[in-house]
Amino acid sequence: MTAMRQALLDVAELSVAFPGRNGPIRAVDGVSFRLEPGESLVIAGESGSGKSMLCRALMNIQPGAASVTATRMDWQGRALGALSPRDWRALRGGQMAMIFQDPAAALNPLLSVGRQIMDVVNAHRACSRAQARSRAIEVLGLAGLPEPEARLASYPSQLSGGMRQRVAIALALAAAPKLIIADEATTNLDVSIQAQIVALLKRLQRELGLGLIFVTHDLDLAAEVGGRLMVMYAGQPVETGPVQTVLKDPCHPYTRGLLRSAPTLHSSRETPLQPIPGQTPKPGAVGAGAPFRSRCPVSVEGVCDVRRAPWSEAGPGHRVACNRFALDGRGGLP
Amino acid sequence: MTMAAHSPDLDEGEARAGFLARHELPVSLVAGGILLALILAAVVLAPALAPADPNAVDLKVIRRPPSAEHLFGTDAIGRDLFSRVLYGGQVSLLVAGAGMIGSLTFGAVMGMLRAFGPWFLRPVVDRMIDIQLAFPYVLLAIAITSAVKPSVPVLILLMVLAGWAGVARVVRAIALQERAKDYVKAAEILGASGLRISLFHVFPGVLPGLMVLAAMQTAAMIVFEATLSFLGMGIQPPTASWGGIMLEGKDYITSSWWLTTFPGLAILMTSLSLVLIGDGMEARSERLRAKETEA
Amino acid sequence: MSKPMIEACGIDKTFTLRRDGRLVEHRALKTVSADLHEGEILGIVGESGSGKTTLSRIMIGIDTASKGEILFHGDRVATRREWRDLRRHVQYVFQDPFTALCPTMRIGKALAEPLAIHGIGSREERPARVARVLEMVGLHPDMAGRLPSQLSGGQRQRVNLARALMSEPKVLICDEIVSGLDVSVQAQVLALLLDLQKRLGLSLIFISHDLRVIRYLCDRVLVMYLGEIVEQGRTDEVFAAPKHDYTRRLLAAIPDRDRPAHHSPIDEALK
Repeated sequence: MTAMRQALLDVAELSVAFPGRNGPIRAVDGVSFRLEPGESLVIAGESGSGKSMLCRALMNIQPGAASVTATRMDWQGRALGALSPRDWRALRGGQMAMIFQDPAAALNPLLSVGRQIMDVVNAHRACSRAQARSRAIEVLGLAGLPEPEARLASYPSQLSGGMRQRVAIALALAAAPKLIIADEATTNLDVSIQAQIVALLKRLQRELGLGLIFVTHDLDLAAEVGGRLMVMYAGQPVETGPVQTVLKDPCHPYTRGLLRSAPTLHSSRETPLQPIPGQTPKPGAVGAGAPFRSRCPVSVEGVCDVRRAPWSEAGPGHRVACNRFALDGRGGLP
Repeated sequence: MTMAAHSPDLDEGEARAGFLARHELPVSLVAGGILLALILAAVVLAPALAPADPNAVDLKVIRRPPSAEHLFGTDAIGRDLFSRVLYGGQVSLLVAGAGMIGSLTFGAVMGMLRAFGPWFLRPVVDRMIDIQLAFPYVLLAIAITSAVKPSVPVLILLMVLAGWAGVARVVRAIALQERAKDYVKAAEILGASGLRISLFHVFPGVLPGLMVLAAMQTAAMIVFEATLSFLGMGIQPPTASWGGIMLEGKDYITSSWWLTTFPGLAILMTSLSLVLIGDGMEARSERLRAKETEA
Repeated sequence: MSKPMIEACGIDKTFTLRRDGRLVEHRALKTVSADLHEGEILGIVGESGSGKTTLSRIMIGIDTASKGEILFHGDRVATRREWRDLRRHVQYVFQDPFTALCPTMRIGKALAEPLAIHGIGSREERPARVARVLEMVGLHPDMAGRLPSQLSGGQRQRVNLARALMSEPKVLICDEIVSGLDVSVQAQVLALLLDLQKRLGLSLIFISHDLRVIRYLCDRVLVMYLGEIVEQGRTDEVFAAPKHDYTRRLLAAIPDRDRPAHHSPIDEALK
């Protein structure tokens, strides 16, 4: 067998369930994907889609009551389910790192920036204080902070939101991980800063060969990040494929609905937005059957109530889980 | 194939079942509630439960230890201690309860006034609270009781004076916190007056905190009344109150242990039940709030 | 040309803040003037620190300007009585649907309150009026019996709108009202807003940091940066041909699914 470049993450049928009054509540239900080094995967969805819980499960930081199951969950060929807490601690930060939505919450307000980064370095590598310090300066520079050496002594409260997020990125990079998971990492930032942070992540991806999982609710931002897109609804993946392909040719009624209801730079009142009727579902509220059926304009009577849609091929690398699409190959479009 | 990944618990997520858990009733609340109910029942039913007149003197049975006939024993002049403790409870609980209601009312009004009233009253109320909290109450009690004969109304007044500032401080804090929130501004923009906002918008949010305080205050007042009575500044004999009964037994602590132990236990159990209730209510509102935010 | 409905003239606002242990003066608004004409939807867009929320709060009187004045139908608004009169016709909708409603008050009571305060309608009529407004914002009249905690974010925002509409105002100031909502819910609230504006003949001031929403909703737009209005004009004109450098930068930073990937400004920034 030829030497295959090993995937960073190989996940099959990953589910995260919580105990509920009437049976388990699946916050994540049957997610599968493969991420190679240097690739980016954008996970798009609204609240209740399970995208954040998925990220937490990948790093094993889901809430204690949650149970994570999967037929396969491998990191570079190693089964993650078999890892001890000690192995996980080495993995987290050292191999995969996460950036959260609220930079203020991710940083310790009582410790200086330099100290926090050096702590991460020391946790994963035995090195001298001088080495840890120079690594801290290095990653602060990588994260685009001006005058990184001066920044070592700063405290999070002295920095703006954008700079704090850059520090969070530096923290994530400190131990040279191979994968960065950004969970709505730009949602709280000003639009101009958002553009810079996304540019930074893409550059780091290119220069360091990092894998990137980028979680967002903003489909336009997904287009900017690029790579592969996975659209999630009520914990289930409903459509996956190359970002531009899915956005130009959406096949799932939810993806279409999202695209039609989100304003863009070219929207105006002459072409009214078409809202999706109903509300985003709470985790576990969907039950058996196709998750989007109660809000779907093309649901198949008798089928969508009963069973979840199988995956259908919509194009090269482009798959959709839709009963209607499985029936007519067009998803109900004229 | 399923693999469950183990993780260090970042949240407490115990799967819960059972009646108590389903209705979000902490054990402390239930236990405290039952205990208090028993004590209240015993005290209220004193006329039915007491085997003898609490003031009936019988010099033939001076200082007898607990027996079948005298459950708690007898005191220095032969009165049945069990009856005295039951009837004494009526006085102690009345004084503490009335004191609690008075201090809660006055304290709540002052706290809300501080948060929503005219700007010139604010420093006045703040200083009043500071002074009251710093004041040594036993001294005030001594001063008042030397001038006026201590009676139940005087004692209740003392309780209110001693307790209102603690309530006002809590109410002030909660009210100020709520005042900064958007819904208060929204109500102002809609044209609501300060009075309307404080009464209909903010006060219902203060109420849970007040309930917890009520329980804790009553506990404190039971002990306070007992202390004053023990020091001779409270309820005067022959009317029994738990502190007064302890005062009467003071000289015989080692020889006739029951004279101080039983009233002491009554004070302890009542205070404990109230503190448990207070704790339980606080835990309950925490849980309800947590449930709300996760929805 | 008729007088503008509401006008801010030369507004200056300085806050005194504590920074690094010292008191510093922060000039949040630098001689800002803006007006709203009848029937129009005016957008105010800016990033954090632009002063857009401060300006809107001064226009409704939650904050007071350090300098300058607010005019309503050409008349100066200064005394408490004048503000009270203004608020009969100008209402404010807050951003956060979770904190803008009193958590202990049922929806019906919260909606009936403006009627009680302003003496609109008799007591018997109020439930009917409340039901009517609830339907107007797309909610079932049964919602009147619920508490805010029992509603979703989108539903709460509709209730917010309903409450602002109870006193039949002519002007609504909406401060980031869709910013905390899911995309699909946001679209519902925007559609509702447009519908209400048409039906009730409202004039709207819509504050947002999201240029895409502004582009969709607003006739005219004010672009704010660091306390000043750097550009204003008709939305389509400003977006098609931005004159100020900041506006251009802002537009360039907005992610756009239709822009070809190799023209992405983010990739430009990578170079």
